[in-house]
Amino acid sequence: MGSKSVQSKGGGQARVIALPADFRLAGLADVKASLLEALDAPAVQLDGTAVERVDTAALQLLLTFRRGAAANGKTPTWSGVSDVMRDAAGVLGLVKALELPATMPA
Amino acid sequence: MSKAGLAQFQQVFIEESLEGLDTMESSLLALDNGGDAELVHTIFRAAHSIKGGAATFGFPEMSSFTHEAESLLDEVRSGKRAIDGSIIELLLRTVDCLRGMFARAQAGEPLNDAVAEGLRNELAVAMGRGVPAGDVQARRAEDQADAWIVRFRPHQGMLAGGNDPLRLIRELAGLGELDVTPEFDRLPASLAALEPTECHLGWTIELKGPVKRADIVAVFDWVEGECDLAIEAKHVVAPVAPAAAAAPAAAAPAANVADAGAARAQREASAESSSVRVSIDKIDGLINLVGELVITQSMLDTFREGDIDASRLAMLEHGLAQLARHTRELQESVMGIRMLPIASVFNRFPRMVRDISQKLGKQVKLELIGEQTELDKTVLEKIGDPMVHLVRNAIDHGLETPDKRRAAGKQDTGTLTLQASHRGGSIVVEVSDDGAGLNRDAIVAKAIQRGIIASGEGMSDEAVADLIFQPGFSTASVTTDLSGRGVGMDVVRRNVADLGGAVTIRSTQGKGSVFTITLPLTLAIIDGLTAAVGDERYIVPLVSIVESVQLKGEAVRSVAGGGELFRFRNDYLPVIRLHDMFGCENAVHAIDEGLMVVVEGEGTRVGLFVDGLIGQQQAVVKSLEANYRRVQGVSGATILADGSVALIVDIAGLVRMQGRRKAA
Repeated sequence: MGSKSVQSKGGGQARVIALPADFRLAGLADVKASLLEALDAPAVQLDGTAVERVDTAALQLLLTFRRGAAANGKTPTWSGVSDVMRDAAGVLGLVKALELPATMPA
Repeated sequence: MSKAGLAQFQQVFIEESLEGLDTMESSLLALDNGGDAELVHTIFRAAHSIKGGAATFGFPEMSSFTHEAESLLDEVRSGKRAIDGSIIELLLRTVDCLRGMFARAQAGEPLNDAVAEGLRNELAVAMGRGVPAGDVQARRAEDQADAWIVRFRPHQGMLAGGNDPLRLIRELAGLGELDVTPEFDRLPASLAALEPTECHLGWTIELKGPVKRADIVAVFDWVEGECDLAIEAKHVVAPVAPAAAAAPAAAAPAANVADAGAARAQREASAESSSVRVSIDKIDGLINLVGELVITQSMLDTFREGDIDASRLAMLEHGLAQLARHTRELQESVMGIRMLPIASVFNRFPRMVRDISQKLGKQVKLELIGEQTELDKTVLEKIGDPMVHLVRNAIDHGLETPDKRRAAGKQDTGTLTLQASHRGGSIVVEVSDDGAGLNRDAIVAKAIQRGIIASGEGMSDEAVADLIFQPGFSTASVTTDLSGRGVGMDVVRRNVADLGGAVTIRSTQGKGSVFTITLPLTLAIIDGLTAAVGDERYIVPLVSIVESVQLKGEAVRSVAGGGELFRFRNDYLPVIRLHDMFGCENAVHAIDEGLMVVVEGEGTRVGLFVDGLIGQQQAVVKSLEANYRRVQGVSGATILADGSVALIVDIAGLVRMQGRRKAA
């Protein structure tokens, strides 16, 4: 997992958080650290395309992150979501709350 | 896992669960007698294992049923509820009901029945959970519904425990269509405050489809205690009036007591001679002995080649002695595998004594002594019924009611003692009570009325006591449903005799009675006398031999109808000529050249005429039925030292054959 900066549409620096392939309980401390950092960035883009395994704890982490960002008036965007992640969010009824993109962007 | 694979584990699960139920039962009874709190934990653990196993092995009904009992136990365990007689009673019936469920599971029948339903209801009512009785009824009624609302709120620690709501809800989705609404009210406001391993989410799930409550409960079975779960039916399929639902609950207690015995009997019938559990120690001992045997064999093997010179003779002798010792030890150890402690039979009695004494309004203290005494599994399986009979008799006829005991200057509580011990090569099981003892006058009067004897004059107390073993004898003035079902002491005696044992009674009027069952340690080896008849050899079991006498020719008289009698002490005994019975050639026919062996079988004495007795020996019994076919008058066969086969005489069978001959 890593984070890099890209030029966002608004012109400011957008932080990109690439979620790991194994996005589960054991590895969440690192993701949380990156997300905490990203809260200070003007814009954040989440990349879930690489996610192969995901659990409730991971989605809960993302959910809390999004709610925290929203409280600061920011809305993290998605650059992509894997089918596994979409399916898990669907089962847990979290698609809307996570504001997952309707389909994979081309 | 494949179906066959699961079935294999199912059997193990059932066996283990039945043991768990035995533990629950004995612990409950101990608790009833003022046992400590640790017992509650033991009971809880047993219930918990059964619940978990039942869910895993595809018995959701059993799982949800046990769950109710477990919840009740949990409240007791955590001190929220004090244990009392009514709870113990309820849990004992739960144990019975589960036994019934397991019996049905083995028979492949539907697990739930009216008793289970009623009991589940009672458990729920006992639990209360702050739910009014009416609601509980309603809950029960909606065991099946078209749609369910499941409120699922994992506790914080659930994720760390390895249980993922994702998996649970996915599993739930397998039951029907889901509408999942997450709840965020417990979610921390800031990311910094979130501990990622804790669960702060909750869900309200609507499940559409014809689903049973038990199936939903089964999904959440492993997270029991790690979440708050509420399951409500949205559309009840068949609402039942509370009154109708309450009826089976009220009827359950009576039906259940009777059920307990039936379920057990069924279980024991199916368990009989199926398998035996052997402790690792015993197996290790066997392996060790076989190792020794192999060493001895290889040592003896060195003598195979070449001449044996005198200098090595001592070594050969030593080797042979070692071989003999190891063979004997191996034999004993192998026999030991079949030996199980009598505790498995004794353990059924605390419950039985409790139930019967309550029913009869008597106070009985049961003492068990020598539960660890081991005896052959076959004997163990067959000794249960005669003992049940003796125990029932002791409580029903032997022990008195508290006021009668007080009047006789005894303590209110009667004592019933079951004691097992080794005595020589036998097992002695005693059933003794400190009750009224046998009433000599009543027995004599009854025996005369039944035509068993003409008068009781001059009969010893033993002889009078022995009368109760006669067929058709029963002195109970009131036939209760406990004893006196037309199955008398004669059946007890016959059952014990079938095992090669004997029942005797010692009784003192006003002080109590002692029934003593003497049994052989094993059915696999018998002590017998080898008798020669013509060219053949027969083994006569030592236990049935009274004595042997040489008679003069004129001592035996022919009687009308073809039989022969001879005078023995003050009796005339019929003669059974073994060569005649079994058609042996070259046998001695003249009475004064042969030997009359007086034997006793089924309470009847007869003279067995043989050529002569060769000697006493231990015979390893080989089943004739398994290797050839059943032969009347023969109980088995054995192989003699010279390799020839000798048949073992079945004395009781011979007596019956003789009786038929006479009648013919």
